[in-house]
Amino acid sequence: MTSEVEHAAHDHASAIPHAHTHEDAAETPGYFEIMEISVRELLIERQLITEAEIHRQIDVLDSRTPALGAKIIARAWVDADFRGRLRADGRKTCEELGITFYDNTRLIVLENTEKVHNLVVCTLCSCYPRPILGLPPEWYKLKPYRARAVSEPRKVLAEFGTIIPDDVEVRVTDSTSILRFLVLPRRPPGTDHYTEEQLAGLVTRDAMIGVATIAAPISEQNP
Amino acid sequence: MTGPEILVQRLPNDIGGQGGPAIARTEHPLAAWEKRCHALADVLDFHKIINTEEKRHGVAALGTGINAALSYYERWILAFANILFQKGILTPAELAEKMQAVEARGAR
Repeated sequence: MTSEVEHAAHDHASAIPHAHTHEDAAETPGYFEIMEISVRELLIERQLITEAEIHRQIDVLDSRTPALGAKIIARAWVDADFRGRLRADGRKTCEELGITFYDNTRLIVLENTEKVHNLVVCTLCSCYPRPILGLPPEWYKLKPYRARAVSEPRKVLAEFGTIIPDDVEVRVTDSTSILRFLVLPRRPPGTDHYTEEQLAGLVTRDAMIGVATIAAPISEQNP
Repeated sequence: MTGPEILVQRLPNDIGGQGGPAIARTEHPLAAWEKRCHALADVLDFHKIINTEEKRHGVAALGTGINAALSYYERWILAFANILFQKGILTPAELAEKMQAVEARGAR
């Protein structure tokens, strides 16, 4: 598929009037929204699912943001035992921090080092560690990233402004429906005196996908 | 390779390594119905009605043309409908009738 087709599809989608809030009921739903409403209501009428479950899951989705991932990364930076457990069993160790997994996925934490930079993709669809990062960004789900990340990762990284030195291996990991990956970025220099909370504030979503690294804080640069 | 063999050698979503245009770093907040569709997917998974792998396969099974033309959650809801038909949980006639009723009542 060309990018023009992809964009055309999105232009088409955005041309259908659709509300961004539950309150806005004046607009007419489009064909696929009508299908969503219909499938959901039929399944509720059959008592296969409940309205309350849908609402509860929307709240769960809204509660998951990269801030959770940042908390995990900051803990891993300050606590070597935690980091070891996290690398041995990502899911169980996140659950230690009270982060529940609402799906049947395993979490594997990929640690960046002086020698290796990790990048995560889902070439087939959009598998992503949603319980700890929330829903993936649009570009993660679109074809250019999925088609290119495995074959020309350094070029892809450069488009994100990330230049990995030639003597550092770039390792790309492809996700599956049951195996999800989180990059443990390198702790930036000049942060020895930072609290865990301050460290968490430096961690970005893109760094946990691996398309970015974490720069030293501005105040620590050009000392 | 430019002939129709490309259509059978790779399924619609098997695109890893194919190359492509520059990455547009788009961020797109979900519309209300898209978030409901995502929640529906999770709830269907909890109840073992449709799991993630069935969903992924259902989207691939929509074929190249539909995959190219529809947006992400449009593909999902269409795949769910097809899987529910295949499992005998819903029939196409029931869904068509329900969709007419929902459309007729207009507002969500």
